[in-house]
Amino acid sequence: MSLLLVLGCQNDDADLQEAKYSANPDVFIDTFSPGLNFSAFGGTVILGFQVDKDVSYNKTAASMRFDVPNVNDPAGAYVGGSYYTSVGRDLSEYDALTFWAKSSQSATIDVIGFGNDFGANKYQASISGLVLSTTWKKYIIPIPDPSKLKIEKGMLFLSEGPEEGKGYTFWLDEVKFEKLGTISNGQGGILNGTDKVETSFIGVNRTIDGLISTFNLPNGINQSVNVTPAYFVFTSSNPTVATVNELGIVNVVGSGTAVITAKLGANDAKGSLTINSAGSYTPAPTPTQDASKVISIYTEKYPNVPVDYYNGYWAPYQTTKSADFTVNGDNVLNYTNFNFVGIQFSSPTVDASVMSHLHVDLYMPNAIPSGANFKVQLVDFGADGVAGGGDDKGSTVTYTSPTLVTKNWISLNIPLSNFSGLTSKTHIGQIIFEGTNITNFYADNIYFYNDGSIIPPVPATAAPTPTVAAANVTSVFSDTYTNVAGTNLNPGWGQATVATQVSIVGNNTLRYGGFNYQGIELGSAQNVSSKTHLHLDYYTSNSTSLKVYLISPGPVEKAYTLTVPSSVAPSVGGWKSIDIPLTAFSPVNLSNITQLKFDGNGTIYLDNIYFRN
Amino acid sequence: MKNYLLNKNYILTVSFAIVLLFSIVSCNPDTNQKIEQRNWELTWSDEFDGAAGILPDATKWTYDIGNSGWGNQELQYYTNRPENVALDGSGNLVITAKSENFGGAAFTSARIKTQGLFTQAYGRFEARIKTPYGPGIWPAFWMLGANNQTVAWPQCGEIDILELKGNQPSILYGSIHGPGYSGGGAITDSFALENNRFDKDFHIFAVEWDTDKIDFFVDGYLYQRISKNTVNTKGEWVYDHPFFMILNVAVGGNFVGFPTSDTPFPQKMTIDYVRVYELAN
Repeated sequence: MSLLLVLGCQNDDADLQEAKYSANPDVFIDTFSPGLNFSAFGGTVILGFQVDKDVSYNKTAASMRFDVPNVNDPAGAYVGGSYYTSVGRDLSEYDALTFWAKSSQSATIDVIGFGNDFGANKYQASISGLVLSTTWKKYIIPIPDPSKLKIEKGMLFLSEGPEEGKGYTFWLDEVKFEKLGTISNGQGGILNGTDKVETSFIGVNRTIDGLISTFNLPNGINQSVNVTPAYFVFTSSNPTVATVNELGIVNVVGSGTAVITAKLGANDAKGSLTINSAGSYTPAPTPTQDASKVISIYTEKYPNVPVDYYNGYWAPYQTTKSADFTVNGDNVLNYTNFNFVGIQFSSPTVDASVMSHLHVDLYMPNAIPSGANFKVQLVDFGADGVAGGGDDKGSTVTYTSPTLVTKNWISLNIPLSNFSGLTSKTHIGQIIFEGTNITNFYADNIYFYNDGSIIPPVPATAAPTPTVAAANVTSVFSDTYTNVAGTNLNPGWGQATVATQVSIVGNNTLRYGGFNYQGIELGSAQNVSSKTHLHLDYYTSNSTSLKVYLISPGPVEKAYTLTVPSSVAPSVGGWKSIDIPLTAFSPVNLSNITQLKFDGNGTIYLDNIYFRN
Repeated sequence: MKNYLLNKNYILTVSFAIVLLFSIVSCNPDTNQKIEQRNWELTWSDEFDGAAGILPDATKWTYDIGNSGWGNQELQYYTNRPENVALDGSGNLVITAKSENFGGAAFTSARIKTQGLFTQAYGRFEARIKTPYGPGIWPAFWMLGANNQTVAWPQCGEIDILELKGNQPSILYGSIHGPGYSGGGAITDSFALENNRFDKDFHIFAVEWDTDKIDFFVDGYLYQRISKNTVNTKGEWVYDHPFFMILNVAVGGNFVGFPTSDTPFPQKMTIDYVRVYELAN
């Protein structure tokens, strides 16, 4: 018996044969350990990492020094990279990566860990927000499941940017894997250890995130480690409803209920995802607006503008999480634990000045409790184009029952004029959803569009070409017909109006700028008593008053009021064509028309002014 | 595995033990030691068998209730609710410290004792326990002189078989408090697990107490012997009358310090059994 015990604490032949991979625990002690490579991450300051022979823990030969850049350093935005071996090491006998560290100022390292091998990063584990101080302290990153690390190449990786915009320096030393024994067994968790319940549909794909393992460190304090899916074994309670693969990607395949759970090592992970599948998915209605009249924020139908984020996770009051899913290729935003959430598109902002509506499709899978409401807010960032700065404008519209219904798509077409406080629409940067008693909703097809009621100041198209036969026309101003000779289109009647002729898509068009009134003196008096109508095409995006007059000697004149702006349907490209019965101009002498007159305001485009029958 | 065998067999015959020790020294200095064999006879025990969620046997245990701080500025309210003290259905008693507002305190826990139900002078007192952890967590398995109603502390005597500071989950403290050596001046020693901690698995904590010494054990290893002579150099030996046992988990207090926002709650002390022996003739 004693002989056996002695052998038990030496290497025996069987052990040696199994040890195909080095179990060297050292990463960086006084220099790189054998076989260790370094590659900086893209966008980092390449020289941000140095071996420092002046500063080290415990006066050893050298440490690892990281010089974090200031914001806007042209050399790079942050420091970071991976230290990895070409041949894997067997780390399965260790339970933690440990190191000593200090920093030139109190600082928080964004992420640091191991398992990043510049390849699949299969068994990556890391700590987010590691707080350093200005004195050397020992830090521990527990290994979620050492048995997985039989051939691991990723020894250390980290990434750190400026603190409050300022660069600083930190040092690591004595970086090595250890068998501490003084950290508790890890408690795995999915969805950050929470139990989630979600309504879902056949065809939904969803990734289980929030993968962690929580350890108790030797000081009695818990430390959560971010973990990759490969450490877990995922299980579905009902694969006929939902399957889950080794990456934690859930596929809903039937109707009913399935619970997704996981194990980390031999132990059950905390947290679960209960899928209540309602069966086949009813997609949001496909948008039908013409693409040329749409600014899309979130659709498959139209190209989307650059969007900063669809969930800003605004601290500290936002509770809303995102659980976006893709069903049959249709991407759907899903906001859970909803109180409010912002979508931002700031670079560039959206100019919605020629948009009439905001469209949003909403689906609320849960019952709508009484008192529930849903608010849509638009925020214009103002001329400075950024949030804040004192020139932001925002406005909110609120929806309640019966607009809000459960288990049906709610298609909101919100006139931008309903956002009464949105006095500027040229730098819209955010859409904010806010709700009361609505914990979960889907959103799709978020876009601005123009139903034709908003037209640009300058016509994008020429006025419609007339089709009346020339024999039936007495033309005042048109490219299509021979106009009355000698007509003065800009007589000096003391008007403020600046009358010009401009070419709109190659078509000669009358333009009245700074318009108050404007006359036209015909080259000769016209007898139009055989005609039935006065035709004209007009275009104005901003006029609130426009009248046309016929004048016969006396003078005898009569006004006819035109509907403005010209975008009010029916119109074509903002051009409104009108045929006014000449009887409307009584008592003007139709056998002796000498002048026409317009009065009103705004900027007016006119074309194809003629009498016809 | 070999260590486990040796630890469990500390009362093996001397000759065999020597062979084993010799074999082990070459590669792993160990904690095993040769102790005179004793013949213990069980006088009292609670194995904590029973259905999950029920309180421990009322014929064996009674309760201290309230949030008086217990002379140590402890922060918890001790209750006799199953949320704080109950069998787990697997043969263990679990004392749970929770972070919850109750009776004017920010934490709840439990403190059970054999006072008035079982007392004994001398013998072996042992319990198999998995400890809680975390800053400000203070589990204890300890004894007070049964004359404490008539004689003030520390004259009644106190024997602490297990105390632990949750921010040092690898270190066990064993102490006695008596006249001339109490509070911060107690006669005490500690034992640290190497590369392990007391909350990862069960460990057996025990004292063996006779007329002229008290021996402190963890997993059969004697880490502290306090002799009557030692005590008499500091004060008075007050260990010749019956004592009762106490199990509790304190939160905060002047031994361990305050819990922090990083202290994980709830915290559980799991007790497999408590056994008391006397020396057989």
